[in-house]
Amino acid sequence: MLKKADYLVVDDEPDICWVMKRILGSAGGSVVTLQTGEEVLALIKSHAFGRVFMDAKLPDIEGLELARQVHELVPSLQIVLVSGYYYKDDPTIQQALSDGLIYDFIAKPFTHNDILKML
Amino acid sequence: MLTDIQCLTLPDKMQLYSILLDAIPSSILVLDGSLRIVSVNRNFLEKSQRLMKDTISRRLEEVFPAVILEHTSIKKQVYDCFEKKRVVRGHRMTYRAPGIPIRTYYYSILPIGADESVRLVVLLMEDVTEQVRLSEEVRRMERHLASVVESAQDIVLSTDLSGRILTWNSAAEKLSGFKFNEVKGHCWSEFCSQVANITGFLEQICFGSDVHTAEWELITKENQMIPVSWVVSPMMDDYRKVVGFVAVGRDLTEQRKLEYQLRQSQKIAALGVMAGGIAHEIRNPLAICSSAAQFLQEESLPTHFARECADKIQVSIEKISSIIENLLRFSRPTTASEMVSVDLVKVVQEALTLIASHAKVQNICVNSQFPKQLVLVSGVASLLQQVFLNLCLNAVNAMPNGGTLTVSFFLYSDCVEVQVEDTGVGINPKDFDKIFDPFHTTSPIGKGTGLGLTICYSIIKQHFGHILVESYLNQGSKFTVKLPLQQKDS
Repeated sequence: MLKKADYLVVDDEPDICWVMKRILGSAGGSVVTLQTGEEVLALIKSHAFGRVFMDAKLPDIEGLELARQVHELVPSLQIVLVSGYYYKDDPTIQQALSDGLIYDFIAKPFTHNDILKML
Repeated sequence: MLTDIQCLTLPDKMQLYSILLDAIPSSILVLDGSLRIVSVNRNFLEKSQRLMKDTISRRLEEVFPAVILEHTSIKKQVYDCFEKKRVVRGHRMTYRAPGIPIRTYYYSILPIGADESVRLVVLLMEDVTEQVRLSEEVRRMERHLASVVESAQDIVLSTDLSGRILTWNSAAEKLSGFKFNEVKGHCWSEFCSQVANITGFLEQICFGSDVHTAEWELITKENQMIPVSWVVSPMMDDYRKVVGFVAVGRDLTEQRKLEYQLRQSQKIAALGVMAGGIAHEIRNPLAICSSAAQFLQEESLPTHFARECADKIQVSIEKISSIIENLLRFSRPTTASEMVSVDLVKVVQEALTLIASHAKVQNICVNSQFPKQLVLVSGVASLLQQVFLNLCLNAVNAMPNGGTLTVSFFLYSDCVEVQVEDTGVGINPKDFDKIFDPFHTTSPIGKGTGLGLTICYSIIKQHFGHILVESYLNQGSKFTVKLPLQQKDS
């Protein structure tokens, strides 16, 4: 039986996790924050998440690569890439969106409304 | 086998005399008081195309071409030799026998006789046609060489062993503003910036050092500094002993301008390569600021949380500001060309700070070991920073799947080595000879200009250093920059 949580936030910047926790918490969801790809791959086997918010650059893996691996494990899981490395019409992002690798993309810095729209 | 001449009979003596006379390679005429020929050797007969019987007992005027006797005072000199014992040594005359090209002689007129009276006079003539031709050839060559040196656009100067100027061509006069007579005998180093360097450099050449090139600024009469690239060669005598030096110097002003522009554009290109990392590193704290501000806009916020938001905004802004400051520092054009005392540790640390963002987003772990003390070299800090930034950037780009960048210092008595090592893809052996070539790049289009290492190389050369590389395919590369330490007394 999988443990349930509403949102998973993956970012190696603790203050971003602090921000996301507060935004998502205010929308009334439970939030788990992780900092590395390794932790994510270990956790999604035992937990079910409604939505994943993921940074593009993690200490041990590229966000898009992690998204691909997460998809292999849990194809239904919707991943939102939240990053300052790319921009909305970046070819890499457009490709990832059209491949269905990510559900959406949010550029940093973002408005809280950008995040809440994804819920 | 020598025979005692006293034991010989007169005919034998006569024969010996005539053998000796004929063996002498100069032309010899022996004259008596009435200027008649009493003896002549084979050499004279051959040169004047005469026979012995038509020469012996003849008067000098019959044997000697009239034209010579008219134009020289040989006849008078022979008389003077008889009367006053006046010797003539090494006078010159030219002579053209019928059908023979002009020949040049040095002649001497010597008295022969016992006691006071001169009984006979010897006219000795040395054919120096060949020597004269050669010396004229040499003079012509010298004139030609002199005009080559004079017409050269580059400085050509020569010095003695101690570096005192012996020659100084027109280009040197034009570029420096000093005329030859103003520099003659002065030390070459008086007209160059790195004073201590030249003497040592010349000594090293004498000891067989194979480094004969250097860049020293020339100090002009107006006290301007002109960057000059010198090629110095030892001048040898016939015994292969070094007797002086020739230095050829090329004005680098134009080249420096181009290098400057290249360096500037390469810096911008490097910033372009780092743009993604920089964006990521700046936008994270921006996102924190933005969110904290949005929280602060909410109604009835607990005081401690509002304070937390404000603190986070403050810290994030400082982070962004320091990233921007480093970028500015790096992207500004380097106007300084003056070599000053630079702490290499600080330079390398700054370069690492600059690439930190880029390294972080590429999942690269940076290991650095810095010495505790100052490592002082003579140089231009911003240029050296560009070298280490380029080397670190290359290292990061060689590790697309992450890895380790190690920067280490090794101190020696007179130099310092900084190694920049990566665990990346390595350099393909077929590209190894080309890595310092301009525009050689293995990066995809738009990712690299192929100028980074070229610029590193030229900057390190300008700092009298060396740059070495070791690389193994799929294992990584190690670049070593070797720079001379600043001398304690300079």
